[in-house]
Parts: sequence; structure tokens; C-alpha cells
Amino acid sequence: MASPVVAQRPAETPARPGRRRRPGIGRRDHLIGWLLIAPALVYFIIFLLYPALAALYYSFTEWDLHSAPIWVGLQNYTDLFFDDVKYPHFWKSVQVTLQYTLVAVPLTLIAALGQALLINSIRRGSNLFRLLLFLPVVTAEAAVGAIWRWLYDPQYGLVNAVLGLVGIPRQNWLNTPELVIPALAFIAAWQCGISMIIYLAGLKSIPESIREAAVIDGAGPVQRFFKVVVPMLRPTTFYLVVTGIIAALQVFGLVYVIFSGGGNRSVTGGPEQSGLAYVLHIYLYAFRYNAMGAACAMSFILLVFIMIITFVQFKFMKQEAS
Amino acid sequence: MNQKTVRRLPIYIALILLALVSVVPFVWMLATSFKNGPDVYTQVPQLLPLDKKTGEWNPTLGNYEYVLSISGLGTAFWNSVWITCVLVPVKLLIDALAAYAFARIPFPGRDKIFVLMLAGMMVPTITLLVPRLHVTQVLGVYDSPWGIILPNVASVLDIFLMRQFFRTLPVELEEAARIDGAGRMAIFWRVILPLSKPVLAVVTITSFIFHWNDLVWPLIVLNSPDYYTLPLALQQLASTESGRAYYIMAGAALAVIPVMVVLLIFQRRIMQGIAFSGLKS
Repeated sequence: MASPVVAQRPAETPARPGRRRRPGIGRRDHLIGWLLIAPALVYFIIFLLYPALAALYYSFTEWDLHSAPIWVGLQNYTDLFFDDVKYPHFWKSVQVTLQYTLVAVPLTLIAALGQALLINSIRRGSNLFRLLLFLPVVTAEAAVGAIWRWLYDPQYGLVNAVLGLVGIPRQNWLNTPELVIPALAFIAAWQCGISMIIYLAGLKSIPESIREAAVIDGAGPVQRFFKVVVPMLRPTTFYLVVTGIIAALQVFGLVYVIFSGGGNRSVTGGPEQSGLAYVLHIYLYAFRYNAMGAACAMSFILLVFIMIITFVQFKFMKQEAS
Repeated sequence: MNQKTVRRLPIYIALILLALVSVVPFVWMLATSFKNGPDVYTQVPQLLPLDKKTGEWNPTLGNYEYVLSISGLGTAFWNSVWITCVLVPVKLLIDALAAYAFARIPFPGRDKIFVLMLAGMMVPTITLLVPRLHVTQVLGVYDSPWGIILPNVASVLDIFLMRQFFRTLPVELEEAARIDGAGRMAIFWRVILPLSKPVLAVVTITSFIFHWNDLVWPLIVLNSPDYYTLPLALQQLASTESGRAYYIMAGAALAVIPVMVVLLIFQRRIMQGIAFSGLKS
């Protein structure tokens, strides 16, 4: 890839006046540069670039990982979309994932903003509260799933016990199709600490003078919240909505643990597939049914969807900036 | 009480309630993990490990002994420890070297490669899993600890974060070192790295947490229980012993506590790092 004009540096690092270079260091620098990125580049090619391209290729094949892939063209895609005998739960998994995203993302952001506002309005103890509210974030999903399965236990679970105090009858949270998504979304909101920290940074960046001006103009706390805080936090909220959607669409580890049980590595999608997240569905086809081609096709549909969201975000941010 | 304190009282009450929601699951996990089997299942939730019938103090470490030996979480714990301890430093070195070149050593094609790498970050992990599994089989590291280490041994996000930080360091320092006759590598070790402790700390800590917690990749690449990492062993425990919450909570505690300790020690750096970058996602 060496360009013929070796001595020429890229345009964005202009030669600094007074920068002394020994003769020959430029050429040697190129070599050092290549050597330094070599391990990362090899990694990138073997474990990122090649897998991404290979996944695209496999998505046009029928492949069980052991024998040679058979080219089938677009059949995986058309079967996924239209053949509900071959892939009976594909659309269900799409529906579950969209529902989960629609509930979990707003719930997480409201919880995060609420916590950030509260923490931002106190001085004493703010670090302690920030730490306590952050604990769920660093917890392994395997542990989160295990803990919440126990908390949601229909008979001995703490959740039902606490709700019983305010007169809400016992629920079988993880075994009632209508309750699965709210139960999962609550766990997501429980883990809202990262969004909380980012909101907190956003709140700190609102200039005190703007708040004071609003106070002088006679704005009450509610008015200040909607007229000053919310508009000033718009870029933060936008960023969190987009990253939140992208993460929610890929929810997997948690549902895998929550709905695994009764035997070695046996996983279902919850009662009536009500917790069959899209990525869990991919996982089942890839690693349970050895249908690698179909799994790759599903994962590419997800990739395209995520790229569209990222692209929209990019456009939107540009618009916002100008 | 002055007016300000009174006004803030509802805020503190709300925060205490939220903090309880956040922390009680962990307290409940610990409480359950120290109880004897029969004492766990009570109609009214009981925080302390009391005997169900007599109400006497009746804690046990038996659940931990059971999961550590019989369920294999002891082996898994050490697997996780050594894999993380090998993986994180090697990854840090590979990422830092690349980040330095991307930040400071101009060579033809460098920026194109960098942009390509950044674009690679957009690909969802699930898309990569099947071909990565195939690659580990071809490389002969499937179902071995190296099958976990190799596919995680560099991170584009970390390279990006370090590059951004390296670029903020004054070039004059490097030039001074160069005039004193230091080569590129000497500059990297003696000038750049010592000045980059904040970003190195953030990347190290988040990498540690991420790899210690990672479930999905070990789930796919490991088959032999001897190689299981702690999250995978915990998932298996939760699956096979699903009726015995006391065992599962002891296992969960083993996975959770080391990370909590790291968080307590490095909380300030972690919070700064997140405000700066967002945790791995």
C-alpha cells in the first residue's frame, strides 16, 4: 500500500515549523508505524473484517459449519421473510425485540434522567448515591439474570413480596407472556447507571448563568425543567436514545440466562416465545440447529437495520449542528 | 432545620428509595447465599439466615463450598482470573502501540486503515460470531482458553480512545526527547505512556470488567467444563440447579464481588471514563 511519494505526510498533520528531523527518519518512521499497528491490524483482519465479509457470504448459503457451504442465493432471506413453516418464530422475535426496545429505552432514560436530576441537586452524599446507583451496571449478565430470576420467583420472590405490601397480587412474572417484556424492561432500567452518568455530565455542562436568568425571569422549577433543562439536554438525550436502541435490539445474554433452565444448555424463548429476543433467535439457529446460513442472514438483517439507525443519527446530528 | 435542608429532604428520600432498589437485589443475593436450603423458602421474606422452624441464627458457608467444588465454580473462577490477567495486559499493549502510531506516526494509508477499523465497530457482535467460531476452529483454538483470548486480544474502541488521548499530549515533549536522541519506541515508553495514565487506567478497568463478565463468547467457543469461565459456569449452574436458589446466589456472589471491589477502588476513574466514552457496548 506504500504510496510512491513516501516523504509526503497526510494533509491533516502539516509540518510544524521548527520540527527538526534527522535525514532518513521519515522512511524509518513508516516502517515503525506499520510495525506498531501490525498486531492490531492482523487482529482486525482475522477477527473483524474477515468475519464480517464471511458472514455476508454465508448468508447466501446453506451451511452447517462442518461440510462445505452450499450457495442458495437469496433463499435464506426470502424464507425468513415469507416461509413461516420453516422459520415459524422469525416475525415473533422481531415483534418481541421491537416491543422490548419500545418499552425498555424510554423507561431506562426516564429512570436515568430522574436519578441524574436528583443527584445533581444535592451536594452531600452525591458520590455515594452515584456509586450505589451504578452498581447494577458492572454486574455480569449471568449474575443479573440469576439474581432477577430469584427476585421474580412467583412464590418466594422479593418482587412479589414488596408489591404485596401495596396490595398488588402475586404475579408469575417470567411465566406470563404479557408480563415478560415489562419484567425484562425493568431490569434494563435497573441497569441505567451509564445513561445516568452521561446525563449527569450533561447537567453539569448547563451554564449556571442560564439557570439564574430563568430564575430572574420568574420561571418555577417545573418551567425551568421543560424550558431550560430538557432543551439543553437534547443532544445528550438523542445520543442516549440511539445507543439505547442499538443496545436493546441486541439484547441477548440476559434473556439467555433468564430463560435457560431444566437441563444442560436448553433454552427457550420464554412462555409462548414472549421473550424470544431477535439475537436469541439467531443464537438458537446458529448454535442449536446448526443453520449457520440462516443465522448469518438474520444477523445481516440486523446489521442493515442498525446501520440505517446510525445513518439517521448522523444526518440528524449534522442538521442539529448547522 | 433550616429552610434549605427541609427543601432537600424529599430529594434525599427519593434517592434513598432508588438506591434501595439498586442495592437490595445484591443484599438479597448475599442473604440467600448464606442460608441453609430449607431456610430459604419462607412465606415472609427473611433477610437474616435464621432457622425456619426455631428462628435461631443458622448461617452456612456450605453453598459456597458446594458450588466451588461440586459445581466447578472454583475451577471456573481461576480460569476467569488467569484468562483476564493474560488478556487485559496483552490487549492494552497491542492497543496502545497501534493508538500511538495512529496518533503520531504519519505513514501512507494510515488514516484509511483507521477509518476502516472504526467502520468495523458498527458491525454487531452477533454477526461476527459464526465466522469467528469457524476461525477459532481453523486456528485450532476452539474449546480452549486461547479461543477466548485470541478473538479478544485487541479492541478498536480502546485504540480509538487512546488515540484521542495521545493526540492531546503536547508534541513539544516528544520533540525535546527526540533532540536528546530518543527513538520512537523510547519516546513511547518514557514520554507517552507515563503521561497517559488516566486513559490507560480507564481502558484497563473497563476491559477487566467487560472480559470478567463476558458470557456470550465463552458460551460459543467453550465446550469442556474444565475451561468454563465464571459467567458461563454460573449460567450452567442457574440452568441445572434452577430449583436451588441458595446455590445460584452463592455462584452469583462469586461473580459479582470481584467486580464490585474494582468499582469501589476505581469509582472515580470509571465515572470519568464513562462520561468520556460510554462503557463498552
